[in-house]
Amino acid sequence: MSLKKRWENFRVGMRPRIAEWRFMLKRIGHSYLAVAGLLILLAFVAIAVLAPVLAPAYSSDPFTVPQDRALAAVTPSPTPPTTAHIFGTIDEQYDLYYACIWGTITAFRVGVLVVGASLVVGLIIGTVAAFYGGILDEALMRFTDIIIAFPGLVLAMVLAIAFPQSIPMNLSMVMLAGSFIAMFVLLVFRPDRRLMLVDLLIIVFSLYSVFSFPLDVKLGLSQLDKVLLAITIVGWPGYARVIRGEVLRVKNEDYVEASRASGSSDFRTIIRHILPNSMYSILIVATLDIGSIVLTTAALAFIGVGAPVNYADWGQAISRAQNWISSGDLIIKNAHVFVIPGLFIVLFVVGWNLLGDALRDVLDPMLRRR
Amino acid sequence: MSQENMVDIRDLEVKFYTYAGVVEALDGVNLFIKRGEILGLVGETGCGKSVTSLSIMMLIPPPGKIVGGRILYKHGSEQGNILAMSADSLRRLRGKDIAMIFQEPRAYLNPVYTVEDQIGEVILVHRRKEILQNAVSNIEKKLVEDRRLVLEKQRVRFEKQKAGNEKDKVKLEEPGALLEKEVSKLTVKPPSNFEVGIYERLIRSPRSRSVAFQARFSRKRQFKKELRKEVVRVLRSVEIPDAERVARMYPHELSGGMAQRVLIAMALSCNPTLLIADEPTTNLDVTVQAQILNLIVTLKNSLGSSILYITHDLGVVAQSCERVAVMYAGNVVETADVFETFSKPLHPYTRALLKSIPRPGEPYKSIAGIVPSLVNPLRGCRFHDRCEYAMEICRKTKPPFLEVKPGHYVACHLYGGLK
Amino acid sequence: MANLLAYIIRRLILLVFVILGVTLLVFAVTMLLPVNIRALMYINNPQRWRQLIGPTIEAYGLNDPFYLQYGRWLGQVLQGNLGMSISANQPVADAIAQRWPLTMEIVIFAAPIIIFVGIFIGVQSAIHRDTPIDHVSRVFAVIGWSLPSFLVGMTLLAIFYGWLHVLAPGSLSESSRLYVSLGHYVKYTGMDIFDGLLNGVPWVSWDALLHCVLPVVTIVTIDIALLIRVMRSSMLESMSKPYMITARAKGLEEKVVIYKHARRNALIPVATLSGMLVAGLLGGLIITETVFGFGGLGQFAAEAARNFDTPAVLGYAILSAVVFVIANLIVDILYAYIDPRIRLE
Repeated sequence: MSLKKRWENFRVGMRPRIAEWRFMLKRIGHSYLAVAGLLILLAFVAIAVLAPVLAPAYSSDPFTVPQDRALAAVTPSPTPPTTAHIFGTIDEQYDLYYACIWGTITAFRVGVLVVGASLVVGLIIGTVAAFYGGILDEALMRFTDIIIAFPGLVLAMVLAIAFPQSIPMNLSMVMLAGSFIAMFVLLVFRPDRRLMLVDLLIIVFSLYSVFSFPLDVKLGLSQLDKVLLAITIVGWPGYARVIRGEVLRVKNEDYVEASRASGSSDFRTIIRHILPNSMYSILIVATLDIGSIVLTTAALAFIGVGAPVNYADWGQAISRAQNWISSGDLIIKNAHVFVIPGLFIVLFVVGWNLLGDALRDVLDPMLRRR
Repeated sequence: MSQENMVDIRDLEVKFYTYAGVVEALDGVNLFIKRGEILGLVGETGCGKSVTSLSIMMLIPPPGKIVGGRILYKHGSEQGNILAMSADSLRRLRGKDIAMIFQEPRAYLNPVYTVEDQIGEVILVHRRKEILQNAVSNIEKKLVEDRRLVLEKQRVRFEKQKAGNEKDKVKLEEPGALLEKEVSKLTVKPPSNFEVGIYERLIRSPRSRSVAFQARFSRKRQFKKELRKEVVRVLRSVEIPDAERVARMYPHELSGGMAQRVLIAMALSCNPTLLIADEPTTNLDVTVQAQILNLIVTLKNSLGSSILYITHDLGVVAQSCERVAVMYAGNVVETADVFETFSKPLHPYTRALLKSIPRPGEPYKSIAGIVPSLVNPLRGCRFHDRCEYAMEICRKTKPPFLEVKPGHYVACHLYGGLK
Repeated sequence: MANLLAYIIRRLILLVFVILGVTLLVFAVTMLLPVNIRALMYINNPQRWRQLIGPTIEAYGLNDPFYLQYGRWLGQVLQGNLGMSISANQPVADAIAQRWPLTMEIVIFAAPIIIFVGIFIGVQSAIHRDTPIDHVSRVFAVIGWSLPSFLVGMTLLAIFYGWLHVLAPGSLSESSRLYVSLGHYVKYTGMDIFDGLLNGVPWVSWDALLHCVLPVVTIVTIDIALLIRVMRSSMLESMSKPYMITARAKGLEEKVVIYKHARRNALIPVATLSGMLVAGLLGGLIITETVFGFGGLGQFAAEAARNFDTPAVLGYAILSAVVFVIANLIVDILYAYIDPRIRLE
């Protein structure tokens, strides 16, 4: 088939899907809470996009919060808002306004990266477990249960602290990772014995070379990266469970049986049926999770496990406040240090929560109508 | 049995206010049900049969609303427009005078309560006094019986003593006369008993809070026993085998046919004058279908209630119903005696419907076109775009529902109305 | 009945498995740290740490293969010795035993409020859908769930401690703490709220109670939001089920229809959620305790993790694994009790 023809088919095939999305948006538009959430998020996106304009960078790394050295020489304690510093400063005279503006980008980055990574890992493991069932399913599910059994925050802390500053690796690791992903794709989309055999050989070879060649490349991890990695490791079991549940549910639906009966024992058709149907639940979970991730990152920063001291991050800013609220008067005086970034966090999370709720309200009856 | 109208639905209009628009589900429905008859209500899916039946007891869930018409209910000396009734009167009506069974029995039973619980519930609401009185009289009977046994034993001993077989220090009195006197005293005024006291107070002042409070803390054993007995009796009347075991089951443990029987039992437990059956056998196997149908007809005969039987199966209508009403797109288009309707259908839709019944050896005939959307219904007669006799007027004005022949009503411009 | 017993035994075996798994996981993670840093943990003398690293590694066998170290620790645990907590300078078991009651002080008040008030508001919200009551509770629920716990804690402290000077952080005031450390004060339960009464000094109990108020309010505000949301949506779903029509058709009072028929079904998913919520609370409120300096289990775990106090973190891992599995078990039993459809397993 020509490319043009394929595109036409795709477009026509998508029409009912698009009509559904339009209906969805209309439904969302009816609920003022949902619209509010959307507006809040758009405002944050605007701030993130306009950050260089709203708070011009002072150094080559825009995420370094500028420090008012003149003032720092006078006093290390936080100062309330003045004309020079619109939101005031946190201790050691770092500008709070700058931190909040660029912190927006950090927040988006953290949320999207972590949720994305957890989603991918969870998707792979959950799908494999649900497809093949049996011992593989049991084993994978026990593994996820173990991770869930431990309080996430403490585990994330331990991981974030314990991770080495840099991971020694060599290029064979890349080959290893690539061949694993290829194996997954093969299993799910197009089981072909010869290709799988070839891939297995590649895996064995890369395993050998990983351990026999020197580990001369170092993948550096910043403090924040370690935290993100930690939260991802703690978070993916949640997704794996949800996805596994969805795949199991859809596996037993009539249309899967019908698709199989019509001759497509090909896993691909099952993917064409399962993924679109489970996609919505996952979307809802992911949306709600972004807010939750940001809260977790802030909590970790509060305990002391987070981005470095002068990094532009809301959680960081608040965690600095800890040292300055030891007495009643100090709390009042330094309230701005935790109230202002706190408001940023709350509004951000509220926005995502409202959006997630709206999606759930709209998609749930649809899910059931299926 | 007088043949007067028991339920008279006039110009019923029901609208559903949904996100997709306003659905005009019922557009002036006219229907009447006579006492003691089986009325069949037929029509395609979506024509408004269920909505009509739910309206009778005002059970339409939001976003639906009854926006016009009257539903007159005449029972004995009571008369009234159901749509204008107070909430209390409505509640007294539901379950007792009018009862309903549904299409998917297991979905319509609460999964976390036993059969006993759910049937007992409706009996409690409407027949509590009766059950209490049964409990009282049974306790009294038992007390009398116990006393009688004691006296009987005494009499035997007295006899033995008289015959000299037993040496006894205490000389027993002649219990014969004593027995009679005591028993007669007992039947007039039984010995006081805590449980009986509670029951009697409940009978006397059913709404009193203090009595209810006291009742809460007593075990009410006999009452529960009576209730259970009644539930089992009701279950037996719908031919459920091993009724006592079934009573303790949960809805998901029942088969489809069994669950439907339970629903029927629940509906008939308070002897309603009207039973509304909304496609009760559609989801069941054909053999079970026949059983349930027979059951319903038998029960109707023994209880003397009327039945509104909703179905899309013309065969069932032909077999069991006395009269039939045909619905299309939110209107009743024809109502007549069953034989009349099947042999001399007047409305074009009824005719087409009967013609489309598959017959062996003949090609399939269907009605051209599709059921209209009720969100933007057609003006005039809603069938005119599929009708082979359509006239100019059909497009503009809605045909009135008229009695064209005695007992035979049609809503069609072909049959007068403008003469 | 035999069925139930077999089920419980199966779950207890799972408990062992989970404990092993969790501790193995934590052990493996701490192994990521280079040997020197782990050795530092055992060194008390800040001056001579350079010289002490080598001998410490020798003494504690920190360079031995992974499985050896883990096996050693496991053997130790099976003998009842959870090791020495470096950061707290006392045996791990003691450290946990001392601090868990403090967490319990908060949980005892927070959990019932969250569950029962949450259920109530959720049900009312669903019944009065789209009325002002509903909107207010929904907004509150969304905002509540979005609040970081340390922010709420700090704000409450700012208001009630900083401005109004009414309540203070910590689990006890200075004077009470002094009294409690006296010899004749017997710690029956470890929770000062009750110990104070049992020791005949009710003012200590009152003091402890007052100190619990702010942490309880903090944790309730956040967790109740989730419960309200779940209860509301579950109730809405339950109210639109077909058996509600049957219930109304029977002539039951509206009140009975909603509370007896709809709510019971709606409580099923809420029960599961409540169980997991309480399990999470019992594991310690890490952030809240830290903000208020409460000295409970959560704060201890956080400090231990930060100081690489491996034995303590492992001990905490065991505790939380146990709590997790038991909570799951209770939830499953509760679930089977409420929903008869599950019982046939």
